[in-house]
Amino acid sequence: MSDQLTFSMGKYEARFPSDRLYARNHMWLQQSAGHYRVGLSAYAVRLLQDIYFLDWTVEPGASVRAKQEIGEVESSKALSSIYAPGDGTVVNFNKELLKDPTAINVDNYGAGWLFEFEPAGADLMAAEDYLKYLEGNWGEAQRHIKGQMND
Amino acid sequence: MSDSRITVVLSQTRSKDPIKRHLEEEIATSLLLDPGVDFAVVPHVYDLYPEDTGLLYLKSVQGHLVLLSWLYPRAAHWVLDRNGVKGREGATLLKSLGQESDEDEVGDGEAEEARGIGAANAPDRQVFCLDLRAYDDPAVYVEEIKRLARAAAVKLVPLTLGLKVETKPLQLPVIPFAPRKDEGPRKDEGLPVIGEVGERRWYPVIDYTRCTNCMECIDFCLFGVYGLDHHETILVENQDNCRRGCPACSRVCPENAIIFPEHKTAAIAGAPGEGPGALKIDLSKLFGAPNAIEMAALERDTELIRDGRDAVGLTVGIPKRQEGKPAHEKDDLDRLMDELDGLEL
Repeated sequence: MSDQLTFSMGKYEARFPSDRLYARNHMWLQQSAGHYRVGLSAYAVRLLQDIYFLDWTVEPGASVRAKQEIGEVESSKALSSIYAPGDGTVVNFNKELLKDPTAINVDNYGAGWLFEFEPAGADLMAAEDYLKYLEGNWGEAQRHIKGQMND
Repeated sequence: MSDSRITVVLSQTRSKDPIKRHLEEEIATSLLLDPGVDFAVVPHVYDLYPEDTGLLYLKSVQGHLVLLSWLYPRAAHWVLDRNGVKGREGATLLKSLGQESDEDEVGDGEAEEARGIGAANAPDRQVFCLDLRAYDDPAVYVEEIKRLARAAAVKLVPLTLGLKVETKPLQLPVIPFAPRKDEGPRKDEGLPVIGEVGERRWYPVIDYTRCTNCMECIDFCLFGVYGLDHHETILVENQDNCRRGCPACSRVCPENAIIFPEHKTAAIAGAPGEGPGALKIDLSKLFGAPNAIEMAALERDTELIRDGRDAVGLTVGIPKRQEGKPAHEKDDLDRLMDELDGLEL
Protein backbone atom coordinates (compact mmCIF):
# COMPACT_ATOMS: atom_id res chain seq x y z
CA MET A 1 0.00 0.00 0.00
CA SER A 2 1.19 3.47 -0.76
CA ASP A 3 1.60 6.30 1.73
CA GLN A 4 -1.24 6.78 4.08
CA LEU A 5 -2.51 9.20 6.68
CA THR A 6 -4.22 8.23 9.88
CA PHE A 7 -7.00 9.75 11.90
CA SER A 8 -7.84 8.73 15.45
CA MET A 9 -11.45 7.86 16.09
CA GLY A 10 -11.22 7.18 19.77
CA LYS A 11 -8.82 4.28 20.01
CA TYR A 12 -9.32 3.32 16.40
CA GLU A 13 -6.78 4.54 13.85
CA ALA A 14 -8.56 5.09 10.54
CA ARG A 15 -6.09 5.14 7.66
CA PHE A 16 -6.43 6.96 4.36
CA PRO A 17 -4.15 6.05 1.46
CA SER A 18 -2.92 9.15 -0.33
CA ASP A 19 -3.09 7.53 -3.76
CA ARG A 20 -6.72 8.50 -4.17
CA LEU A 21 -9.22 11.30 -3.68
CA TYR A 22 -11.96 11.61 -1.10
CA ALA A 23 -15.48 13.03 -1.12
CA ARG A 24 -17.21 14.78 1.75
CA ASN A 25 -19.62 11.87 2.09
CA HIS A 26 -16.67 9.67 3.13
CA MET A 27 -16.11 7.88 -0.12
CA TRP A 28 -12.79 7.42 -1.85
CA LEU A 29 -12.37 7.66 -5.61
CA GLN A 30 -9.47 6.25 -7.56
CA GLN A 31 -8.93 6.19 -11.29
CA SER A 32 -9.09 2.65 -12.64
CA ALA A 33 -9.52 1.50 -16.23
CA GLY A 34 -10.95 4.76 -17.50
CA HIS A 35 -13.40 5.23 -14.65
CA TYR A 36 -13.19 6.13 -11.04
CA ARG A 37 -13.57 3.28 -8.67
CA VAL A 38 -15.45 4.33 -5.53
CA GLY A 39 -15.49 2.85 -2.05
CA LEU A 40 -16.08 3.79 1.56
CA SER A 41 -13.30 5.40 3.55
CA ALA A 42 -12.03 3.78 6.73
CA TYR A 43 -13.90 6.49 8.61
CA ALA A 44 -17.23 5.42 7.12
CA VAL A 45 -16.54 1.74 7.63
CA ARG A 46 -15.58 2.31 11.24
CA LEU A 47 -18.84 4.14 11.90
CA LEU A 48 -20.93 1.46 10.24
CA GLN A 49 -19.01 -1.50 11.64
CA ASP A 50 -19.99 -5.00 10.46
CA ILE A 51 -21.91 -4.55 7.24
CA TYR A 52 -24.23 -7.36 6.31
CA PHE A 53 -26.54 -5.78 3.81
CA LEU A 54 -25.97 -3.63 0.77
CA ASP A 55 -28.45 -2.69 -1.89
CA TRP A 56 -28.55 -0.28 -4.80
CA THR A 57 -31.56 1.74 -5.79
CA VAL A 58 -30.26 2.85 -9.19
CA GLU A 59 -29.35 0.76 -12.19
CA PRO A 60 -25.88 0.58 -13.73
CA GLY A 61 -25.51 3.41 -16.23
CA ALA A 62 -27.74 5.76 -14.25
CA SER A 63 -26.77 9.39 -14.32
CA VAL A 64 -27.02 10.83 -10.86
CA ARG A 65 -26.65 14.11 -9.10
CA ALA A 66 -24.54 14.90 -6.08
CA LYS A 67 -26.24 13.74 -2.90
CA GLN A 68 -28.79 11.70 -4.77
CA GLU A 69 -29.62 8.52 -2.93
CA ILE A 70 -28.28 5.54 -4.83
CA GLY A 71 -28.44 2.72 -2.33
CA GLU A 72 -28.42 1.65 1.24
CA VAL A 73 -26.23 -0.19 3.64
CA GLU A 74 -27.05 -1.89 6.90
CA SER A 75 -24.79 -3.20 9.60
CA SER A 76 -25.35 -4.81 12.94
CA LYS A 77 -25.32 -1.39 14.57
CA ALA A 78 -26.37 1.14 12.00
CA LEU A 79 -27.86 1.85 8.64
CA SER A 80 -27.42 4.54 6.10
CA SER A 81 -28.46 5.53 2.67
CA ILE A 82 -25.64 5.80 0.20
CA TYR A 83 -25.43 9.01 -1.77
CA ALA A 84 -23.68 9.87 -5.00
CA PRO A 85 -20.29 11.50 -4.37
CA GLY A 86 -20.94 14.03 -7.12
CA ASP A 87 -22.77 14.55 -10.40
CA GLY A 88 -21.96 11.84 -12.90
CA THR A 89 -22.75 8.35 -14.08
CA VAL A 90 -22.76 5.19 -12.02
CA VAL A 91 -21.13 2.85 -14.51
CA ASN A 92 -21.48 -0.43 -12.68
CA PHE A 93 -21.50 -2.02 -9.25
CA ASN A 94 -19.19 -4.46 -7.54
CA LYS A 95 -21.27 -7.59 -7.98
CA GLU A 96 -19.27 -9.58 -5.47
CA LEU A 97 -20.48 -7.34 -2.69
CA LEU A 98 -24.11 -8.09 -3.45
CA LYS A 99 -23.46 -11.73 -2.70
CA ASP A 100 -21.39 -10.97 0.35
CA PRO A 101 -20.62 -7.45 1.53
CA THR A 102 -17.99 -8.41 4.09
CA ALA A 103 -15.19 -7.24 1.77
CA ILE A 104 -16.23 -3.70 2.67
CA ASN A 105 -15.08 -4.40 6.22
CA VAL A 106 -12.12 -6.58 5.36
CA ASP A 107 -10.63 -4.62 2.47
CA ASN A 108 -12.44 -1.33 2.00
CA TYR A 109 -9.71 0.18 -0.18
CA GLY A 110 -9.39 -2.88 -2.41
CA ALA A 111 -11.85 -5.72 -2.99
CA GLY A 112 -14.50 -3.82 -1.05
CA TRP A 113 -14.95 -1.13 -3.72
CA LEU A 114 -18.60 -0.25 -4.25
CA PHE A 115 -19.08 1.01 -7.78
CA GLU A 116 -17.41 2.59 -10.78
CA PHE A 117 -18.22 6.18 -11.43
CA GLU A 118 -17.76 8.66 -14.24
CA PRO A 119 -17.80 12.05 -12.52
CA ALA A 120 -19.26 15.00 -14.38
CA GLY A 121 -18.56 17.35 -11.52
CA ALA A 122 -17.50 16.36 -8.04
CA ASP A 123 -15.87 18.27 -5.24
CA LEU A 124 -13.05 15.96 -4.24
CA MET A 125 -10.22 16.27 -1.76
CA ALA A 126 -6.72 14.90 -1.44
CA ALA A 127 -6.12 12.75 1.63
CA GLU A 128 -4.56 15.66 3.57
CA ASP A 129 -7.59 17.85 2.99
CA TYR A 130 -9.97 15.03 3.80
CA LEU A 131 -8.15 14.55 7.08
CA LYS A 132 -8.59 18.23 7.93
CA TYR A 133 -12.24 17.93 7.01
CA LEU A 134 -12.61 14.98 9.38
CA GLU A 135 -10.83 16.81 12.17
CA GLY A 136 -13.19 19.72 11.76
CA ASN A 137 -16.27 17.52 11.90
CA TRP A 138 -15.38 14.80 14.35
CA GLY A 139 -16.93 16.49 17.35
CA GLU A 140 -20.23 17.00 15.59
CA ALA A 141 -20.25 13.50 14.19
CA GLN A 142 -19.84 12.08 17.68
CA ARG A 143 -22.62 14.28 19.00
CA HIS A 144 -24.84 13.11 16.16
CA ILE A 145 -24.28 9.47 16.98
CA LYS A 146 -24.61 9.91 20.74
CA GLY A 147 -27.72 12.01 20.25
CA GLN A 148 -29.42 9.17 18.42
CA MET A 149 -28.36 6.60 20.95
CA ASN A 150 -29.82 8.63 23.80
CA ASP A 151 -33.15 9.22 22.14
CA MET B 1 -58.68 -31.43 15.56
CA SER B 2 -61.31 -28.84 14.74
CA ASP B 3 -61.54 -26.70 11.64
CA SER B 4 -60.58 -23.66 13.63
CA ARG B 5 -56.86 -24.31 13.41
CA ILE B 6 -54.86 -21.26 12.63
CA THR B 7 -52.32 -21.08 9.89
CA VAL B 8 -48.96 -19.52 10.63
CA VAL B 9 -46.85 -18.25 7.75
CA LEU B 10 -43.34 -16.95 8.18
CA SER B 11 -42.19 -14.39 5.62
CA GLN B 12 -38.46 -14.78 5.35
CA THR B 13 -35.92 -12.04 5.65
CA ARG B 14 -33.76 -11.37 2.64
CA SER B 15 -30.95 -10.42 4.93
CA LYS B 16 -27.98 -12.61 5.61
CA ASP B 17 -27.93 -11.51 9.20
CA PRO B 18 -27.28 -14.73 11.12
CA ILE B 19 -29.25 -13.47 14.11
CA LYS B 20 -32.36 -13.01 12.00
CA ARG B 21 -31.91 -16.35 10.33
CA HIS B 22 -31.46 -18.04 13.64
CA LEU B 23 -34.66 -16.54 15.03
CA GLU B 24 -36.59 -17.77 12.00
CA GLU B 25 -35.19 -21.24 12.33
CA GLU B 26 -35.92 -21.47 16.04
CA ILE B 27 -39.53 -20.41 15.55
CA ALA B 28 -39.94 -22.73 12.59
CA THR B 29 -38.55 -25.67 14.48
CA SER B 30 -41.05 -25.18 17.30
CA LEU B 31 -44.04 -24.62 15.04
CA LEU B 32 -43.30 -27.42 12.61
CA LEU B 33 -43.49 -29.78 15.56
CA ASP B 34 -46.67 -28.21 16.91
CA PRO B 35 -49.73 -30.26 15.91
CA GLY B 36 -52.01 -27.33 16.82
CA VAL B 37 -51.04 -25.05 13.93
CA ASP B 38 -50.38 -25.30 10.24
CA PHE B 39 -47.03 -23.74 9.52
CA ALA B 40 -45.31 -22.70 6.31
CA VAL B 41 -42.45 -20.48 5.21
CA VAL B 42 -42.70 -18.19 2.19
CA PRO B 43 -40.14 -15.83 0.65
CA HIS B 44 -40.39 -12.21 1.74
CA VAL B 45 -44.10 -11.49 1.35
CA TYR B 46 -43.58 -8.03 -0.12
CA ASP B 47 -41.75 -9.50 -3.11
CA LEU B 48 -44.40 -12.05 -4.08
CA TYR B 49 -46.23 -11.80 -7.39
CA PRO B 50 -49.77 -13.12 -7.90
CA GLU B 51 -48.49 -16.23 -9.68
CA ASP B 52 -45.91 -17.08 -7.04
CA THR B 53 -46.58 -20.25 -5.11
CA GLY B 54 -46.00 -18.48 -1.82
CA LEU B 55 -48.78 -16.01 -2.52
CA LEU B 56 -51.10 -18.70 -3.88
CA TYR B 57 -50.60 -20.53 -0.64
CA LEU B 58 -51.38 -17.44 1.44
CA LYS B 59 -54.53 -16.84 -0.59
CA SER B 60 -55.64 -20.41 -0.07
CA VAL B 61 -55.70 -19.97 3.69
CA GLN B 62 -59.29 -19.27 4.66
CA GLY B 63 -59.21 -19.36 8.43
CA HIS B 64 -57.34 -17.11 10.81
CA LEU B 65 -53.86 -16.33 9.68
CA VAL B 66 -50.73 -15.36 11.59
CA LEU B 67 -48.02 -13.75 9.52
CA LEU B 68 -44.55 -13.47 10.99
CA SER B 69 -42.55 -10.94 9.04
CA TRP B 70 -39.69 -8.47 9.33
CA LEU B 71 -42.07 -5.60 8.76
CA TYR B 72 -44.22 -3.39 10.89
CA PRO B 73 -47.52 -5.19 11.47
CA ARG B 74 -49.40 -2.38 9.78
CA ALA B 75 -47.17 -2.66 6.72
CA ALA B 76 -47.49 -6.43 6.64
CA HIS B 77 -51.27 -6.26 6.94
CA TRP B 78 -51.66 -3.88 4.03
CA VAL B 79 -49.15 -5.73 1.89
CA LEU B 80 -51.30 -8.80 2.35
CA ASP B 81 -54.44 -6.80 1.65
CA ARG B 82 -53.00 -5.33 -1.54
CA ASN B 83 -52.10 -8.79 -2.71
CA GLY B 84 -55.53 -10.22 -2.10
CA VAL B 85 -54.96 -11.81 1.30
CA LYS B 86 -57.63 -9.99 3.20
CA GLY B 87 -59.02 -10.07 6.68
CA ARG B 88 -59.52 -8.02 9.78
CA GLU B 89 -56.53 -6.82 11.75
CA GLY B 90 -56.21 -9.23 14.65
CA ALA B 91 -55.08 -7.91 18.01
CA THR B 92 -51.96 -9.41 19.47
CA LEU B 93 -50.21 -8.99 22.78
CA LEU B 94 -46.89 -8.53 21.06
CA LYS B 95 -45.47 -5.16 20.28
CA SER B 96 -43.88 -4.07 17.06
CA LEU B 97 -40.43 -2.66 16.64
CA GLY B 98 -39.84 0.48 18.62
CA GLN B 99 -43.15 0.34 20.44
CA GLU B 100 -42.56 1.38 24.03
CA SER B 101 -45.78 0.57 25.83
CA ASP B 102 -48.87 -1.43 25.04
CA GLU B 103 -51.13 1.59 25.52
CA ASP B 104 -52.87 1.61 22.16
CA GLU B 105 -52.25 -1.78 20.68
CA VAL B 106 -55.61 -3.41 21.21
CA GLY B 107 -58.68 -1.58 19.97
CA ASP B 108 -56.61 1.15 18.40
CA GLY B 109 -57.91 0.11 14.99
CA GLU B 110 -61.45 1.16 15.82
CA ALA B 111 -60.62 4.83 16.27
CA GLU B 112 -58.61 4.91 13.08
CA GLU B 113 -61.26 3.14 11.09
CA ALA B 114 -63.65 5.97 11.75
CA ARG B 115 -61.39 8.34 9.88
CA GLY B 116 -60.30 6.24 6.94
CA ILE B 117 -62.54 4.79 4.27
CA GLY B 118 -61.88 1.23 5.46
CA ALA B 119 -60.82 -1.87 3.62
CA ALA B 120 -62.99 -3.21 0.86
CA ASN B 121 -64.22 -6.80 0.90
CA ALA B 122 -62.34 -7.91 3.97
CA PRO B 123 -63.69 -11.27 5.08
CA ASP B 124 -64.47 -11.70 8.71
CA ARG B 125 -61.45 -13.71 9.61
CA GLN B 126 -58.51 -12.30 11.48
CA VAL B 127 -55.04 -11.70 10.24
CA PHE B 128 -52.45 -11.33 12.96
CA CYS B 129 -49.19 -9.76 11.88
CA LEU B 130 -46.26 -10.20 14.22
CA ASP B 131 -43.09 -8.15 13.88
CA LEU B 132 -40.02 -10.37 14.02
CA ARG B 133 -37.81 -7.38 14.73
CA ALA B 134 -39.43 -6.72 18.08
CA TYR B 135 -38.14 -9.60 20.21
CA ASP B 136 -34.95 -11.61 20.24
CA ASP B 137 -36.49 -14.60 21.95
CA PRO B 138 -38.25 -17.09 19.65
CA ALA B 139 -40.28 -18.38 22.59
CA VAL B 140 -42.12 -15.04 22.77
CA TYR B 141 -43.51 -15.60 19.28
CA VAL B 142 -44.22 -19.27 19.80
CA GLU B 143 -46.12 -18.60 23.02
CA GLU B 144 -48.19 -15.86 21.45
CA ILE B 145 -49.04 -18.08 18.50
CA LYS B 146 -50.13 -20.85 20.84
CA ARG B 147 -52.30 -18.37 22.69
CA LEU B 148 -53.86 -17.16 19.44
CA ALA B 149 -54.42 -20.76 18.35
CA ARG B 150 -56.25 -21.53 21.57
CA ALA B 151 -58.32 -18.36 21.31
CA ALA B 152 -59.18 -19.06 17.68
CA ALA B 153 -60.35 -22.56 18.52
CA VAL B 154 -62.78 -21.12 21.06
CA LYS B 155 -63.89 -17.96 19.31
CA LEU B 156 -64.30 -18.93 15.71
CA VAL B 157 -68.09 -19.08 15.76
CA PRO B 158 -68.86 -15.51 16.90
CA LEU B 159 -66.21 -14.17 14.57
CA THR B 160 -67.72 -15.66 11.46
CA LEU B 161 -71.17 -14.09 11.80
CA GLY B 162 -72.84 -17.05 10.20
CA LEU B 163 -70.45 -17.36 7.30
CA LYS B 164 -68.98 -20.76 6.99
CA VAL B 165 -65.26 -20.46 7.23
CA GLU B 166 -63.22 -23.47 6.42
CA THR B 167 -59.57 -23.73 7.07
CA LYS B 168 -58.35 -25.50 4.03
CA PRO B 169 -54.72 -24.79 3.36
CA LEU B 170 -53.26 -25.83 0.07
CA GLN B 171 -51.95 -29.35 0.31
CA LEU B 172 -48.25 -29.14 -0.14
CA PRO B 173 -45.70 -31.84 -0.67
CA VAL B 174 -43.83 -32.59 2.50
CA ILE B 175 -40.48 -30.95 2.23
CA PRO B 176 -37.80 -32.35 4.49
CA PHE B 177 -36.62 -29.84 7.03
CA ALA B 178 -33.07 -29.76 5.82
CA PRO B 179 -30.80 -27.54 3.79
CA ARG B 180 -31.64 -27.62 0.14
CA LYS B 181 -29.75 -26.69 -2.96
CA ASP B 182 -30.86 -23.32 -4.11
CA GLU B 183 -29.50 -21.08 -6.78
CA GLY B 184 -31.04 -18.11 -4.97
CA PRO B 185 -29.07 -15.56 -3.06
CA ARG B 186 -28.90 -17.60 0.11
CA LYS B 187 -26.10 -20.07 0.45
CA ASP B 188 -26.98 -21.67 3.75
CA GLU B 189 -30.73 -21.89 3.33
CA GLY B 190 -32.10 -23.87 6.21
CA LEU B 191 -35.90 -23.67 5.97
CA PRO B 192 -38.23 -25.35 3.50
CA VAL B 193 -39.69 -22.42 1.61
CA ILE B 194 -42.78 -22.36 -0.60
CA GLY B 195 -41.70 -20.96 -3.94
CA GLU B 196 -38.60 -19.26 -5.15
CA VAL B 197 -36.88 -16.23 -3.71
CA GLY B 198 -37.38 -13.56 -6.34
CA GLU B 199 -36.22 -10.04 -7.01
CA ARG B 200 -36.76 -7.32 -4.48
CA ARG B 201 -39.80 -5.24 -5.29
CA TRP B 202 -40.67 -1.67 -4.41
CA TYR B 203 -44.20 -0.28 -4.26
CA PRO B 204 -46.55 1.49 -1.87
CA VAL B 205 -49.43 -0.07 -0.01
CA ILE B 206 -52.37 1.90 1.32
CA ASP B 207 -53.62 1.66 4.89
CA TYR B 208 -57.33 2.06 4.26
CA THR B 209 -58.05 2.64 7.93
CA ARG B 210 -56.23 5.94 7.43
CA CYS B 211 -56.84 6.73 3.76
CA THR B 212 -59.58 9.32 3.21
CA ASN B 213 -59.57 9.01 -0.59
CA CYS B 214 -58.32 12.59 -0.89
CA MET B 215 -56.46 11.87 -4.16
CA GLU B 216 -53.31 13.81 -3.32
CA CYS B 217 -51.19 10.75 -4.08
CA ILE B 218 -52.68 10.24 -7.53
CA ASP B 219 -52.16 13.95 -8.24
CA PHE B 220 -48.56 13.89 -7.07
CA CYS B 221 -47.33 10.64 -8.58
CA LEU B 222 -46.47 11.15 -12.24
CA PHE B 223 -45.70 7.51 -12.94
CA GLY B 224 -49.20 6.06 -13.00
CA VAL B 225 -48.88 3.96 -9.88
CA TYR B 226 -52.27 4.94 -8.53
CA GLY B 227 -55.67 4.32 -10.00
CA LEU B 228 -59.32 4.16 -9.05
CA ASP B 229 -61.53 1.13 -8.72
CA HIS B 230 -65.16 0.91 -9.82
CA HIS B 231 -66.22 2.73 -6.68
CA GLU B 232 -63.81 5.59 -7.31
CA THR B 233 -61.64 4.40 -4.48
CA ILE B 234 -57.91 5.01 -4.70
CA LEU B 235 -55.78 1.93 -5.18
CA VAL B 236 -52.21 1.01 -5.98
CA GLU B 237 -53.00 -0.09 -9.48
CA ASN B 238 -49.67 -0.55 -11.19
CA GLN B 239 -47.27 -1.58 -8.47
CA ASP B 240 -44.28 -2.01 -10.70
CA ASN B 241 -44.62 1.43 -12.23
CA CYS B 242 -43.28 2.66 -8.92
CA ARG B 243 -39.72 3.88 -8.91
CA ARG B 244 -37.42 1.88 -6.72
CA GLY B 245 -36.42 3.81 -3.64
CA CYS B 246 -38.84 6.67 -4.26
CA PRO B 247 -41.22 7.23 -1.31
CA ALA B 248 -42.31 10.69 -2.43
CA CYS B 249 -46.08 10.06 -2.46
CA SER B 250 -45.87 8.86 1.13
CA ARG B 251 -44.35 12.18 2.13
CA VAL B 252 -47.26 14.08 0.59
CA CYS B 253 -50.04 11.89 2.02
CA PRO B 254 -51.80 14.00 4.67
CA GLU B 255 -52.90 10.94 6.65
CA ASN B 256 -49.64 9.04 6.53
CA ALA B 257 -51.65 6.24 4.98
CA ILE B 258 -49.12 5.29 2.31
CA ILE B 259 -46.63 2.73 3.46
CA PHE B 260 -43.37 1.76 1.83
CA PRO B 261 -42.65 -1.22 4.04
CA GLU B 262 -38.94 -1.21 3.25
CA HIS B 263 -38.23 2.45 3.75
CA LYS B 264 -35.83 3.16 6.56
CA THR B 265 -37.89 6.01 7.98
CA ALA B 266 -40.18 4.38 10.49
CA ALA B 267 -43.17 6.61 9.78
CA ILE B 268 -42.99 5.75 6.06
CA ALA B 269 -42.41 2.06 6.73
CA GLY B 270 -45.68 1.69 8.64
CA ALA B 271 -44.66 2.12 12.26
CA PRO B 272 -47.60 2.26 14.65
CA GLY B 273 -48.77 5.79 15.29
CA GLU B 274 -46.61 8.41 13.70
CA GLY B 275 -43.54 8.37 15.87
CA PRO B 276 -40.27 6.87 14.84
CA GLY B 277 -39.28 3.59 16.38
CA ALA B 278 -36.11 3.08 18.33
CA LEU B 279 -34.29 2.12 15.21
CA LYS B 280 -30.69 1.56 14.48
CA ILE B 281 -28.52 4.60 14.30
CA ASP B 282 -29.13 6.27 10.97
CA LEU B 283 -25.87 7.64 9.66
CA SER B 284 -27.35 9.03 6.46
CA LYS B 285 -26.86 12.60 7.56
CA LEU B 286 -23.17 11.97 8.13
CA PHE B 287 -22.92 10.31 4.76
CA GLY B 288 -24.23 13.21 2.74
CA ALA B 289 -28.01 13.21 2.90
CA PRO B 290 -29.73 16.27 1.43
CA ASN B 291 -32.12 18.45 3.40
CA ALA B 292 -35.32 16.50 3.94
CA ILE B 293 -37.71 19.25 2.91
CA GLU B 294 -37.35 19.10 -0.88
CA MET B 295 -36.72 15.39 -0.79
CA ALA B 296 -40.07 14.38 -2.25
CA ALA B 297 -39.74 16.70 -5.24
CA LEU B 298 -36.10 15.72 -5.76
CA GLU B 299 -37.01 12.04 -5.67
CA ARG B 300 -39.74 12.55 -8.21
CA ASP B 301 -37.58 14.69 -10.50
CA THR B 302 -34.91 12.05 -10.49
CA GLU B 303 -37.38 9.49 -11.75
CA LEU B 304 -38.84 11.85 -14.34
CA ILE B 305 -35.42 12.63 -15.78
CA ARG B 306 -34.59 8.96 -15.88
CA ASP B 307 -37.68 8.54 -18.05
CA GLY B 308 -36.53 11.29 -20.39
CA ARG B 309 -39.21 13.62 -19.05
CA ASP B 310 -38.78 17.13 -17.68
CA ALA B 311 -38.26 17.77 -14.01
CA VAL B 312 -41.22 19.58 -12.47
CA GLY B 313 -39.76 20.53 -9.11
CA LEU B 314 -42.40 21.90 -6.80
CA THR B 315 -44.81 22.98 -9.54
CA VAL B 316 -47.04 19.92 -9.96
CA GLY B 317 -49.25 18.07 -7.54
CA ILE B 318 -47.91 19.70 -4.42
CA PRO B 319 -50.34 19.21 -1.54
CA LYS B 320 -52.73 22.00 -0.77
CA ARG B 321 -53.37 20.70 2.67
CA GLN B 322 -51.43 23.26 4.67
CA GLU B 323 -54.19 25.81 5.05
CA GLY B 324 -56.65 25.26 7.84
CA LYS B 325 -54.86 22.24 9.19
CA PRO B 326 -53.08 22.43 12.50
CA ALA B 327 -49.36 22.02 12.06
CA HIS B 328 -48.26 18.46 12.50
CA GLU B 329 -46.71 18.17 15.89
CA LYS B 330 -43.04 17.50 15.50
CA ASP B 331 -41.92 14.07 16.52
CA ASP B 332 -38.49 12.99 17.64
CA LEU B 333 -37.39 12.33 14.11
CA ASP B 334 -38.39 15.79 12.94
CA ARG B 335 -36.50 17.35 15.81
CA LEU B 336 -33.48 15.24 15.09
CA MET B 337 -33.57 16.22 11.43
CA ASP B 338 -33.84 19.88 12.35
CA GLU B 339 -30.84 19.62 14.62
CA LEU B 340 -28.81 17.90 11.97
CA ASP B 341 -29.71 20.41 9.34
CA GLY B 342 -28.06 23.01 11.52
CA LEU B 343 -24.84 21.10 11.87
CA GLU B 344 -23.62 21.28 8.30
CA LEU B 345 -21.80 18.01 8.52
